[in-house]
Amino acid sequence: MSPTLQAVADWKQEYAECLERHVQAAAGVRLAPAPQEEDRLERAYELGRRCLAGGQGLVELAAWHRQALRHCGGAVAGGPGADAAAQFLCEALAPFEMTHRGFAEAKLMLRRLHELIENEARRIARSLHDGAGQLLAAVHLQLDLLAAELPAEAREGIQSSRQLLDQVEAQLRDLAHELRPALLDHFGLVPALRALAEGYSQRGGMDVTVTASLGRRLSPAVEAALYRIVQEALINVHKHAQAGQVEIEVRDLGDAVFCRVHDDGAGFDPENLATGAGLGLYSMRERADALGGRAEIRSAPGEGTSVEVAIPAGGNGAAAGVGAPGCGGEG
Amino acid sequence: MHGGWPQYAADGGESLRYEIAGEADLVAARDGARRLAGQLGFALGETTLIATAITELGRNILMYAGAGEITMSVSRGGLRQGLEITARDRGPGIGNLRQALQDGYSTSSGLGLGLPGVRRLVDEFTITSEAGSGTQVRIKKWLPVRQQRAS
Repeated sequence: MSPTLQAVADWKQEYAECLERHVQAAAGVRLAPAPQEEDRLERAYELGRRCLAGGQGLVELAAWHRQALRHCGGAVAGGPGADAAAQFLCEALAPFEMTHRGFAEAKLMLRRLHELIENEARRIARSLHDGAGQLLAAVHLQLDLLAAELPAEAREGIQSSRQLLDQVEAQLRDLAHELRPALLDHFGLVPALRALAEGYSQRGGMDVTVTASLGRRLSPAVEAALYRIVQEALINVHKHAQAGQVEIEVRDLGDAVFCRVHDDGAGFDPENLATGAGLGLYSMRERADALGGRAEIRSAPGEGTSVEVAIPAGGNGAAAGVGAPGCGGEG
Repeated sequence: MHGGWPQYAADGGESLRYEIAGEADLVAARDGARRLAGQLGFALGETTLIATAITELGRNILMYAGAGEITMSVSRGGLRQGLEITARDRGPGIGNLRQALQDGYSTSSGLGLGLPGVRRLVDEFTITSEAGSGTQVRIKKWLPVRQQRAS
């Protein structure tokens, strides 16, 4: 519940009054702190806490402090009054410290969560490929043996079964690839993106190109994040944009990596987003943010869409040759 | 001093105990903690955070149990020195501890305040609570090595 303008003005006034009382008491006291001092400090804490709960920012509070201090009698620089004023501010800001540490912790958790998701995806992809793939091969074998026993007319039935199996195999392979492309693990971001682009070009009815100047591997977390963001962007283009041309650009900025997905499709009004599409964009921002980067989406109706992301890359990863354009094969 | 006179524990020495039944008692407990922390050598920022922990723990006592106590003492672990604070009440207890320790469960913790907030300010945090049998929160904050004073 947002506070009213009047309420905020009242808080500011109360802060100034409490600060002044505190400063003047300190300036007049020569011995050990009087019991009432803790009363005033607790008041400072409560004021800060109320501001935090009411959505007043930290900087705002500090600004109130500065203004109030100017009108404080007794706040002589270097004197006990000035000292007391600083302590008062410290108390008022303490609630914000807890919140700040909470955010830092949350970001760390988010990073761990993404790691967990990638590991799970890798595990599932592998068992799809190994487990189900092997079973399908065994079925093929059995069908071959069966076919050998059957008269010629009956063998046609077997043939259509084989074709269905091939379709299942293809779908499983696509699914595994979508979940966690082996290319990403083995060769890195750019080869994986080229394979992704190839897939969309072949089956998505779009022309997707990749331009990259990245000549090194990045940390797994950064590569995964960039891959997922581009993947999400392409899904959106395919679903909403009716685009003909999509350009994926990857640029090495030294201490960061920049990536852009631009399509010449219908565009949209960023103010006016359906919840589904909104969630996709939100998750792109979260992925980038969790690694200290930024993702932005620029679009306007009729002007196409650009998804731009930059993530700090540090000096991680050994320099590696950029792989040959991926052909979609799996390891 | 307002209500909640400091009491000295049976083992003598450096333990302080405060009955918490009203806001004035919180102030007394804060004051005691600040003195103790100052004596140990905690810097201004840290004594503020210790007073913050007291306030949040005390608020919980008042809000959920109506009354309780906060005790504090010097803690020694090997070469380290620090402050140990325990907040106890005989209130209804916390039925779902995990929920209570998560941000977003109550209004306070949605902002990172309350129990989750206190946990981030201290070095050790233990909570024991069961529905119907009260709550005990014990926290410890160690002095950074450079600030330890010869005891």
